[in-house]
Amino acid sequence: MDLLFQFLSNTGYYLADYRNVIMIAVGSLFLYLGSAKSYEPLLLIPIGFGILVGNVPFFKGFGLGIYESNSVLHYLYFGVVTGLYPSIVFLGLGAMTDFSSLLARPVLMLLGAAAQMGIFFTLLGALALGFLPKEAGSIAIIGGADGPTSIFLTAKLAPHLIGPIAIAAYSYMALIPVIQPPIMRLLTSRKERLIRMPELREVSKKERVIFPAVGVLLCCFLAPASIPLLGTFFFGNFLKECGVAERLAQTARTAIIDTATIFLGLTVGASTQGDVFLTGKSVLIFFLGAVAFSIATASGVIFAKIMNLFLKEKINPLLGAAGVSAVPGSAREVHLVGQSEDPENYLLMHAMACNSSGVIGSAICAGILWSFLVGL
Amino acid sequence: MYGLQAIAVHNGWAMALAGALIVFSGLVILSFAISQLHKALNIFEKKHVDVGQEPKISDVEPPEDKPWISLPKQFPTDIKEVARLYKPLVEEIGETFYLSQLYEMSKKNNFPHPHITLTAFRESNILISDGDGVFSWNPPTENDDNENVEG
Repeated sequence: MDLLFQFLSNTGYYLADYRNVIMIAVGSLFLYLGSAKSYEPLLLIPIGFGILVGNVPFFKGFGLGIYESNSVLHYLYFGVVTGLYPSIVFLGLGAMTDFSSLLARPVLMLLGAAAQMGIFFTLLGALALGFLPKEAGSIAIIGGADGPTSIFLTAKLAPHLIGPIAIAAYSYMALIPVIQPPIMRLLTSRKERLIRMPELREVSKKERVIFPAVGVLLCCFLAPASIPLLGTFFFGNFLKECGVAERLAQTARTAIIDTATIFLGLTVGASTQGDVFLTGKSVLIFFLGAVAFSIATASGVIFAKIMNLFLKEKINPLLGAAGVSAVPGSAREVHLVGQSEDPENYLLMHAMACNSSGVIGSAICAGILWSFLVGL
Repeated sequence: MYGLQAIAVHNGWAMALAGALIVFSGLVILSFAISQLHKALNIFEKKHVDVGQEPKISDVEPPEDKPWISLPKQFPTDIKEVARLYKPLVEEIGETFYLSQLYEMSKKNNFPHPHITLTAFRESNILISDGDGVFSWNPPTENDDNENVEG
């Protein structure tokens, strides 16, 4: 009888508290949104399931939890806290990205820079709310709307915040269709939304091959701390474009990125144990994340309007919203908002140009913040 | 510590300003570099053109501005169907042609989004590069969908 009672007292049913229940509900919501509503399923499903796994109550000391050394989850989590998974994800992203539209219209890269202003405004906001500088930098990077970049920087600066920051970053990426369109409509007139973009010029293969080499040198010389992200990103792109390493490029954009995404999502989800995750700080991080993402969207749109004051050939200011690096969600949203006004207006390729420059911009920002804050 | 005082103590204003300036200047430099890339390549390639080895280009002039192909109201999305619509244009130009010739003709005939279509043709190996900007047409066959990878 004692044995049975001892066993029952070690079960999750006995050990559960309200925080585990809340987090399991959150995980179930992620699974529902990912699988039933198809909101970013490749991200929300691994994270959602990870939340379920991470919030099964267990007897501490058995080496089961993600924060206990020698547990399987702890070993898998190693790729997160060292920044390994984000770097691998960037390799795959590079092998997927087509920079043709950016090469055809380089001026759109400025919108990718403008949208990073959300990061720096949020840095100020987080400091003002009492976060330490390293925590503030990690929270601010949510404004880049790039999950792997957020995880990478947080792992370097404030590893204890990886869970809430990663969940906030991915949640807002999944909520792009909810967050971005109202801001785009608020800041643009119908006349502006109707602006059509000219057909992009044909980009030669040589340009596409040379670009990753030029890109990695220019960006990483400026912000060497972005090498772990941009180094692999541009390497993946070179594999894709050089034309003689297609097998490697294919592996990078399928098996490798998929494997990294699975372990990244699962372990980030599992890191949200109720007792660690449900704190006042997490609520503030979610609030600041929403602010960061909204400011990033608004900065891009406003900067596009400012550019129009000087450009002869006006650009559709909706494109500014695609300057955040949520690929391809924000580009798709820009395209859809443009088409809701004029079904013949095709903004997707131009928006992808801003989107891909946003990826570069947010990785540079991560490098800048890391180098600013690492010594503090 | 909270508010403006916390920002000032942690050097927040300087970090935000410097960070914004660095990321802007970095992307401006990259943007400028890639805007000059194709010009530099053009200059470099002109130096290396061997006039005696220029590929034979069809001297057929594209038809005048008036469109002569009637397109279906619902433009197809399948690449093979689109290729069939482009076939008369290619037959007009000849066996080898510059991409710009095909682009101009498709524009004159009101084909939607010729640039995107030509990119898709290239990726599907329907347009084959013969080098020096010259392309030839490789029409898709019905068997294309059933090809098996061997080895």
